[in-house]
Amino acid sequence: MAILAACSAMAQTAGTPVPANRGAEIIQDFDQRIGDYVKLHKTVQSEVHRLKPTKSPEAIEQYEHRMARGIRAARRGSGQGDIFTPEITAEFRRLIELTMSGPEAGAIRESLRHSEPLATRQFRVNSAYPAATPLQSSPPSLLMNLPPLPAELEYRVVGHTLILRDIEANLIVDFIVNAIN
Amino acid sequence: MRRLIVLLLLSSAALIERAADLSLPLKPDSVRLAVIGDSGTGEKEQFEVAQQMTACHNAFPFDFVVMLGDNIYGGHEPSDFKRKFEDPYATLLGAGVKFYASLGNHDVTNERFYKPFNMDGKRYYSFKRGSAEFFVLDSNYMDPDQLSWLEKTLTDSNARWKICYFHHPLYSDGKTHGPDLDLRKELEPIFVAHGVNLVLAGHEHCYERIQPQKGIYYFVLGSSGQLRYHNLRPSSEMAKGFDTDRVFALMEIAGDQLYFQTVSRSGDTVDAGVLPVQIRRPARTQIERRASPAMATASR
Repeated sequence: MAILAACSAMAQTAGTPVPANRGAEIIQDFDQRIGDYVKLHKTVQSEVHRLKPTKSPEAIEQYEHRMARGIRAARRGSGQGDIFTPEITAEFRRLIELTMSGPEAGAIRESLRHSEPLATRQFRVNSAYPAATPLQSSPPSLLMNLPPLPAELEYRVVGHTLILRDIEANLIVDFIVNAIN
Repeated sequence: MRRLIVLLLLSSAALIERAADLSLPLKPDSVRLAVIGDSGTGEKEQFEVAQQMTACHNAFPFDFVVMLGDNIYGGHEPSDFKRKFEDPYATLLGAGVKFYASLGNHDVTNERFYKPFNMDGKRYYSFKRGSAEFFVLDSNYMDPDQLSWLEKTLTDSNARWKICYFHHPLYSDGKTHGPDLDLRKELEPIFVAHGVNLVLAGHEHCYERIQPQKGIYYFVLGSSGQLRYHNLRPSSEMAKGFDTDRVFALMEIAGDQLYFQTVSRSGDTVDAGVLPVQIRRPARTQIERRASPAMATASR
């Protein structure tokens, strides 16, 4: 109860207040979309056979490519906003703003500055995260304040953009531009 | 041009001819390891460090190597794994030395499936050797699941030496990156509460041993392939720093002592010493973590 009260108070000080029930509905919608994506990921994975640890870098590369091909085919026609709908995007912006205006903000900004921030670039849903581009580390305080993800997916900060990435397929699933300022 | 290449090769050979003068005690049943960080460039300097490690292995037969991340820079084609890992360490791999990798920001997450890195398909994992347990973390993505796993695994551990390693340093006097304060805020209370003895990190392309912080020993070693010359800006937290050549470290754990020797690619001893195990009573309870606004909202 105290946590909910604290969250409610924080919500009123940062960003547009969102009624608690509405916020919960939006996160449930996000969880549902993530659940659907994971089902699709697992279907493709069962078709290409799950990767086990191997001495062969070729096998790792081929697995990643097969996963990416399968998911691209299954999600043909998908685009930005399929998971981060306008409402979910607004809720994410609110959660990020809460984090970035809270007591951890200084440490997060410092971490982001020191984590080899990448220049803003154009992203496309279903395209690969470029292999030679370093992964900018995601501040733990930020991860703690976003809805948890299943093991198949992760959030990544790239410049000001928040990316949802399929880890094994190395695919950009969706993204929010200018999410972190 | 040909003369230049010959000169380079000769100077490289000269560097390796001088093996380090090791002072590690080689006690019976001790745990022996090497430490490398930011190694995977595939360039001449990485090979020279690897050759020096091989020379040291003859005198100090370490069983395994811990990798502090950035194991493979740039592309991750199969040829990159060969040129940036398999070729430089071929002799050590052939001698049965195991490598235990952590992921750096230049690594791809699927490296965890590469068997020679011994990650068993996991981003974070632990393994035991004698009286020591090693907790290998993915500091690129320190999410609540990983923090909970770390707390539980540390709570369950009864190892005399608890050693954590990962890529991003919690303390650093490096000018390029410096300490990761947000990561420190989450990890340090766990380390303190659960009696972690030693923390190893890379990322900063130099060598630094930090004065113990809250009773914990910290090393930064991110120059086993990469190097940023004169990158250190020493503060009162620095016990020893070195930023003018590539290095690796050798460690020997025997009872309550951890002996270490940091060696440059030319065979010079950069730092050496012995660290006594800290007498601390680890907590047995989990650290209370605040609920995330998203989770609090969703649970309503």
